[in-house]
Amino acid sequence: MSPLPTELETELARLVAAVPRPREAAVDVMYALQRHYGYLCDEAMHCAARVLGMTTLELESLATFYDYLYRRPVGRYVIHVCDSVVCWMFHQDSIFDYLCRTLGVPPGGTSEDGLFTVLPAACIGNCHNAPTMLINGRFYDRLTPERIDAVLAELRAGTEEPVRCK
Amino acid sequence: MQVDTPQVLFKNRHLGRPATLAEYRAGGGYEALAATIGKRTPAEVLQLVLDADLRGRGGAGFPAGRKWQGVPTDHVGTRYVVVNTDEMEPGTFKDRILVNADPHLVIEGIVLCAYSIGASEGVFFIRPSYEGDAELIEQECRVAREHGYLGNNILGSDFSFDLHVHRSAGRYICGEASAQIKAISGLRPNPRKGGPRTAVKGLWDCPTIVNNLETLANLPGIVRNGPAWFKALARSATGSGTKLYSVSGQVARPGCYELPIGVTIREIIFEHAGGMAPGKTFKTVIPGGASTPFLPEALLDLEMDFDPMRAAGQRFGTASLMVFDQGTCLVGATLSLMEFFARESCGWCTPCREGIPAIRELLRRIEGGQGTEEHIQMLTDLLPVLDKAYCAFAPGAAEPVRGLLTHFMNEVNAHIVQKRCPFGNPPPTLRGKACGTRPIQFGPTPCPEDQCPI
Amino acid sequence: MPDLIIDGRAVSVPKGTMVIEAAERLGIMIPRFCWHKALGAAGACRMCAVMFTAGPVKGLEMSCMTPAADGMVVETFHPEAVAFRRSIIELLMVNHPHDCPVCDEGGHCLLQDETISGGHSLRRFPGRKRTYLDQNLGPFIQHEMNRCIHCYRCARFYQEYCGYRDFGPMQNANRVYFGRFDDGALENPFAGNLADLCPTGTLTDKPARFVSRRWDCLRAPSVCLHCSLGCNVTALSRYRRVARIEARENAAVNGSFICDRGRFSAGYEAIPERPRSARLDGNAVPAIEAETALAARLAALAEKHGPGSIAILGGLRSTMETQAAGIALAQAAGWRAPAFFATRTEQAATQAALAVLTPPRARSLAEIGKADAVLVLGVSPLFDAPMLALALRQASRAGAKIIVADPRPVALPLPFTHLPVPPRQFPAVLAVATGSPDAAAAAAQKRLPFAPELWPGLETAAKALAAAKRPALVFTPGLAAALPDDDRLGLFPVLAQASSAGAALLAPTDAPGLDELAADVAAGRVKGLVVVEADLFAAAPGLAAVLGKLDLLVVLDYLPTPTVAAAHIVLPTTTIFESGGILAASDGRLQAASPVQSPGDPVARDGAGSHPPRAFDRPLPGTDPAPAAFLLDRLARGLGLTLPREPLAALAAAIPALAGLDLAALPQDGLRPAFAGLAAPLPAPLPLSAESGLAVIYTDALFATDEPGRYAPLAQAQTQAGPPVLLLHADDAAALGLADGLADGLAVSLECGNRLVPATLHLSRAMARGVIVVPRVPDLAGLPPILGPCGLRRR
Repeated sequence: MSPLPTELETELARLVAAVPRPREAAVDVMYALQRHYGYLCDEAMHCAARVLGMTTLELESLATFYDYLYRRPVGRYVIHVCDSVVCWMFHQDSIFDYLCRTLGVPPGGTSEDGLFTVLPAACIGNCHNAPTMLINGRFYDRLTPERIDAVLAELRAGTEEPVRCK
Repeated sequence: MQVDTPQVLFKNRHLGRPATLAEYRAGGGYEALAATIGKRTPAEVLQLVLDADLRGRGGAGFPAGRKWQGVPTDHVGTRYVVVNTDEMEPGTFKDRILVNADPHLVIEGIVLCAYSIGASEGVFFIRPSYEGDAELIEQECRVAREHGYLGNNILGSDFSFDLHVHRSAGRYICGEASAQIKAISGLRPNPRKGGPRTAVKGLWDCPTIVNNLETLANLPGIVRNGPAWFKALARSATGSGTKLYSVSGQVARPGCYELPIGVTIREIIFEHAGGMAPGKTFKTVIPGGASTPFLPEALLDLEMDFDPMRAAGQRFGTASLMVFDQGTCLVGATLSLMEFFARESCGWCTPCREGIPAIRELLRRIEGGQGTEEHIQMLTDLLPVLDKAYCAFAPGAAEPVRGLLTHFMNEVNAHIVQKRCPFGNPPPTLRGKACGTRPIQFGPTPCPEDQCPI
Repeated sequence: MPDLIIDGRAVSVPKGTMVIEAAERLGIMIPRFCWHKALGAAGACRMCAVMFTAGPVKGLEMSCMTPAADGMVVETFHPEAVAFRRSIIELLMVNHPHDCPVCDEGGHCLLQDETISGGHSLRRFPGRKRTYLDQNLGPFIQHEMNRCIHCYRCARFYQEYCGYRDFGPMQNANRVYFGRFDDGALENPFAGNLADLCPTGTLTDKPARFVSRRWDCLRAPSVCLHCSLGCNVTALSRYRRVARIEARENAAVNGSFICDRGRFSAGYEAIPERPRSARLDGNAVPAIEAETALAARLAALAEKHGPGSIAILGGLRSTMETQAAGIALAQAAGWRAPAFFATRTEQAATQAALAVLTPPRARSLAEIGKADAVLVLGVSPLFDAPMLALALRQASRAGAKIIVADPRPVALPLPFTHLPVPPRQFPAVLAVATGSPDAAAAAAQKRLPFAPELWPGLETAAKALAAAKRPALVFTPGLAAALPDDDRLGLFPVLAQASSAGAALLAPTDAPGLDELAADVAAGRVKGLVVVEADLFAAAPGLAAVLGKLDLLVVLDYLPTPTVAAAHIVLPTTTIFESGGILAASDGRLQAASPVQSPGDPVARDGAGSHPPRAFDRPLPGTDPAPAAFLLDRLARGLGLTLPREPLAALAAAIPALAGLDLAALPQDGLRPAFAGLAAPLPAPLPLSAESGLAVIYTDALFATDEPGRYAPLAQAQTQAGPPVLLLHADDAAALGLADGLADGLAVSLECGNRLVPATLHLSRAMARGVIVVPRVPDLAGLPPILGPCGLRRR
């Protein structure tokens, strides 16, 4: 296991110290490690266990429960496409299919350039702008194939290489 | 946008961006807090809330004051306020709009609640897709702290209360109060039933009040203007206050509207939301978020309020109206809802863990034209089982199915008779709902019910 | 006391009882999967739904989550409840594989029972079944996730009840998966209970897999032999070998569970090396020939040197019947009173540890689990008496403060205070902790002036014990004399072996220690020795060293010990699985085990790996072993003596604590005699000085340090290969010049008798100074109590 960068260690220590009991910081610590490693690889889980004083099983219990923690490799951008009823009503299926087709991935798959992963998501709270998707905390409203093309192009333009687990 | 009804929570929404502290204060912001801390006793604040009959805006409609009364007065040690901003009910987005419009209204409400129950710690529980709002609240909390509205010795008094943001990693069940407390504690968020209530033994075994964000945002108004004013805001006899209605679907102007409690569904859809979208004809509406049944057109004049809706066999829920037009297949819509519930279940009890996927499987068959009469019987058999689940999740999931079978049976039958979707929808693929979790635990079918294609 | 009516029958139950338990009192078993007596309600399976037709609750509700209340009328067979439960079964069967014919749980599967009794036989649901990949969970538990019905019993037991954190639920919704982070052995030493708890074949007993259908097994109630607690087990035998051990409910002792040592240490009864025929001077002979020769040689010895030249030695893993028969024979023949314990001091201490258990002070193991403060003195629960750790865990979960004073590093799955003190300081610790809490700080400084690191812990202990309503003391026998005279403080001793209490109850006051016998043999005062179910090489190396001086060594045993190998005459005896018998647990509780199988070679060996032979006129092979008590009785007859028909009953009648007890009809929970307290104060044992060297502390491992367990193949397989591991405090190691270079895992030699035993030295700071912790293996049995300066050296 390679050591974490000092800034990240400091950040993790800060997250744990900021809450009454380390367990409360479990999700925050996993988020931080996910940002660092790109996804929660086993090494990240062991780091989290060490920082939080929890077992890897306890963290796995949480990581696999939640939607936004990824225990498998994902692309630089995880595209959460809302598939709940309102977006569905606006033919979300075709948006989803268009994304998969354009990126050449199955649902849940990662594009060959390692940039995009397409995941269906529970309602993301943007129903008045259906159909919609969420990428890195940003909403994209009233999607059409043209708009999707534009969004993908924009994201492709400004990407830096993240640290990765092997 | 309609502004002819009183805008209390959305007073500053017209800015089109989050109101600053100065803007909030210009409209009387933090006056309620200043008039309360050191001037009213916590019990007086509680009494105001009781008198105002403020009911929870998160779905269940439990009177907030009665919940607060459950906090033991003799508890030594920390008490917590948990602000529930999980808001994962499909069709609901009011809390996001509210935080974005007026963050300090929310903060003032939280502090007033904390003062009333004697809490010293607050946790702002927020879902991951609202990361922007989480950062906004963190930022505005810093501002509030600098101005003495939050933190140690609020407004120079000996009352101290601080608020921190807890980011969820996203599951609908985290919106349930006991599950949310577990989630904050770093435990699996399975709801807890039996034993002491969270008001007695909640976060870290301390008394904890979990309230929806919108509920708390009503407090500054109630404290400043009094219970009578608050009650008068409502249009129905039993209601009090205004409500944020999330309107989505096939309407001309989808969005979030602050309207009195007791306004009719017809008025919301056809006046405030501008009626149906061009070229669309009304079929039905889900009035209170995904956990409430389809409402037939005949009930459009129902007042949006907890008690009248319950009396009519409907649910007020989160007041999130999802409007469907005649061209939308309700079997498909229900299936979409079941996909949501099946994926979001915590997996604790049998009716929810096994029953909802079973319903989904049956609806997939029906929607795909392979449905039989027996499938309808099986659906009917399953609904009472879902009703007896551990928490309110599965009973909520049963509601749209029940609505479908009660009011739109003809549509279901058409699928079975025609052996295809009469609306021309392609058969639902088992394309599935990929998850980001480790696949190693799943066998030859890569993930249950083909959920993980990889 | 709420009164309610269930299925037309009235029942009155204590407040807080759930309806499902109230029904159980009436003998009505409401179907359930997730609810378990020991784990409580989870409300997960929804199988226990019943109809409330009148009273404070109305309608269909879960009986596990509804507390019984006055006026309730419950119908368990209400059509609505039956229909609901049928739906639940149908849902659970949607994903459950139809692999009952190849499932090890088949036949004792709760899901199978409920599916059939619920009338679910036709699958209505379309669609595929969910499948999972399984994990390797180690040697004891087989994982078969496809069969899981997600009752969460395993996770609740593992994490909440036991406090281990390497196994649990993962994923959500209908993907929930119970397992570990990755493949690997379960860390929980109670994990074997998962096989009993799991209502389906998801978690099954791995060593017992495919050995037998449960209904084909012979089954009998038995008592565990692998520590002194006397946990109740059910022994299941198939083809003359113990196929598996299951926990047997005893509310006063082990509750519903047992430890993995108890569950997986059988098998010694079926090893090929087991003595199965009588041996005379190294040759297998018919039993009658060996017995005749034995009687003749004993008579000749008695004639030549007097009956006092013959001694009998009883073991601490025998039933009380065997122990009593040995005593009766010695008395009838005029031999030296039988020896059981290493020294007279140890015997007196063990007897005192029982005598102090007067009715107000005695606590059962279950009561330790309900105590609100426990001081554990000289016991490392997880290894000396594993189920004690689980009882302490339950106490701790309910808020009890647990303090463990023991020289060894102590690991427990619960928050506790460890006071690492050497044994010579136990009395001081006891005095301070049970003394006045206000004076504790001062007393600690006065009594333990050189151990300031212990003062805060001692003060905590004193305060916790003083404030508690149900304080308890778990102690090692040597401390009986130092116990405070305070009826408030409950007592629970932990003894050395399964039958230590039996021996202490029965042994005559003039019984010598094994050390005296060794001296007598060395001096030629004892010429003949009859050893009943004991291994001298482990129990009395001093005696083992002088065996060559004996004219006659007779060994009766069921284990192939070195003592058996050294004997002139061997008579094979039966194990507890073949003869049953009464055992006394560490609190003196008398419990009966029943025989489960006939002695004789396991069919697997008899049939040479093939199907058992079909010749019916052939005698059963390997059936020479007989109960030791029976052999001793025959030996008495061969000597022309008559023993009482029931030596145990006869002996018990003369022992105050046992007089008047009906040993033939012990109650199900066992019977704890009412002890009268110490007759006379014991002399305090001579304090051992730490100045001269390191005090030797023997410690048990979870597996294979108990005598039967050493011969159990499965238990033996859990031990680490390589030299024994010694533990020493890092500062002591530094003082001895052993800490430099290799901080851990130093190769050393240990002087043991006249041999040098290679060992590995590990250092710790979580242990007492001045001691060396040594594993209880026969190789190291002969260490002196204090290891001299040259006893430990670098290899």
